Amino acid sequence: MPKTEVKIIGFLCNWCSYAGADMAGTARMKQPASLRVVRLPCTGRVNPLLVLKAFREGADGVLVSGCHPGDCHYNEGNYYARRRMEVLERMLPALGIDPARFHYTWVSASEGAKWADVVNEFTRRVKQVI
Amino acid sequence: MSMNDLIATIKKVLEEVDVVLGWTRSPAAGVAVPARFHTPDEADGAIFDSTCTHNLAVHLPRLKNSKVGIVAKGCDARSIVQLIVEGEVSRDRIRVIGVPCPGVIDVKRAWRCFGFGKKIEDAGGRVHMEGRSMPREEILLHKCHQCQDQEPVIMDLAAGDVKSVTPPPPPDKTGIRERFAAMSIAERREFWREQFSRCIRCYACREACPLCFCRDACSMQTREPHWTGGQVNAIESEMAQQVRTSHLAGRCTGCEECERACPVGIPLMLLLEEQNRIVEELFAYRAGMSLEDKTPLLTYDVNRDGGWR
Ligand code: SF4
Ligand code: SF4
Ligand code: SF4
Ligand code: FES
Repeated sequence: MPKTEVKIIGFLCNWCSYAGADMAGTARMKQPASLRVVRLPCTGRVNPLLVLKAFREGADGVLVSGCHPGDCHYNEGNYYARRRMEVLERMLPALGIDPARFHYTWVSASEGAKWADVVNEFTRRVKQVI
Repeated sequence: MSMNDLIATIKKVLEEVDVVLGWTRSPAAGVAVPARFHTPDEADGAIFDSTCTHNLAVHLPRLKNSKVGIVAKGCDARSIVQLIVEGEVSRDRIRVIGVPCPGVIDVKRAWRCFGFGKKIEDAGGRVHMEGRSMPREEILLHKCHQCQDQEPVIMDLAAGDVKSVTPPPPPDKTGIRERFAAMSIAERREFWREQFSRCIRCYACREACPLCFCRDACSMQTREPHWTGGQVNAIESEMAQQVRTSHLAGRCTGCEECERACPVGIPLMLLLEEQNRIVEELFAYRAGMSLEDKTPLLTYDVNRDGGWR
């Protein structure tokens, strides 16, 4: 039986995905209430341990989203983040955490509709594995 | 390699350094223990055999103000390279004495089989103690099977022919690695809960790791940032080890010292070997192979990294 309510922690970059999420909200796009957002200055701030700590504290899913590669406000933060998130994602099975509960992606400030899709799709996926 | 070669090489190196890190035999335990040689007389006690398991590179960051010689197996040499790459050790302060390494054994297991405190000898492919013996392949550390790094990647002088050694064959028994690989994700969750419920938070894993040099700023213990509490329970201890594992991403050379040091036998290498495999898969990188390398998680390559989302 898939769970109906899930808790998802989103680590969002202030300059893009946070604004994109905001836009989706203002435009009243349909989104699940599952997401709790932590606003960060840049995905370069996302220590993989933030993700692991969120799981440890009981998150069902963790979503990391920032500016598209090439568009980071600080030029290179998301290039570092991409390497870290990729290693982390591939490590999850060995840690005993289903990698389907983790997702990282890039959503810009103008992509409100894409943001709503990302959250809806990820929530659906998390519900299936929890 | 004869012990005389080794002793002579150490004496030669002592002419230009303050201290040489090596091994001597403990009369009480019968096996090699780390030793510091300051004088030629002290160096007469130097040995190298398959009980020289310790990775002496761990001492280098603590000896920043001296000129240091160090006896190094191939795997130890990788730790030394990584320490230099990370700026913890300066190349011109150290002299590396490479030794031809046949593989080293799990001394704790030898003691469990033979009993503690008698001289362990390695001859003719078997490990002997007081008339009893067992095949050395059965008791090697995991890293030594099919070792790719027997010839030290960094070396100023060799004690013996470091090119002459051949890697020990693959392990023949299925062990914890195979069992772990066959587990489901949920079983692994349960497995780690169980394993970390035995952790006593002694931090021996960190102290033995040449690359865990943060000492009093180690975030397995700090309040700020407060990744994990100091309570000794499975949840906190597992988080503490996740902190350590993630800090070793792209830096761990797979020397197995953390696991060897763990007094309760938590199979930490299951995590580190997997992480090392992932780093190699993504970045074609093995830590500590070249002084020109850049640690992959401290850099990026816009063109090559494009394949990920
Ligand atoms: S890993 Fe290689 S160099 Fe290191 S002890 Fe084993 S055989 Fe020797
Ligand atoms: S984490 Fe373990 S295997 Fe890796 S370098 Fe440190 S002691 Fe060696
Ligand atoms: S050495 Fe073992 S028991 Fe000690 S802190 Fe590390 S994992 Fe825990
Ligand atoms: S500023 Fe958005 S990812 Fe760096």
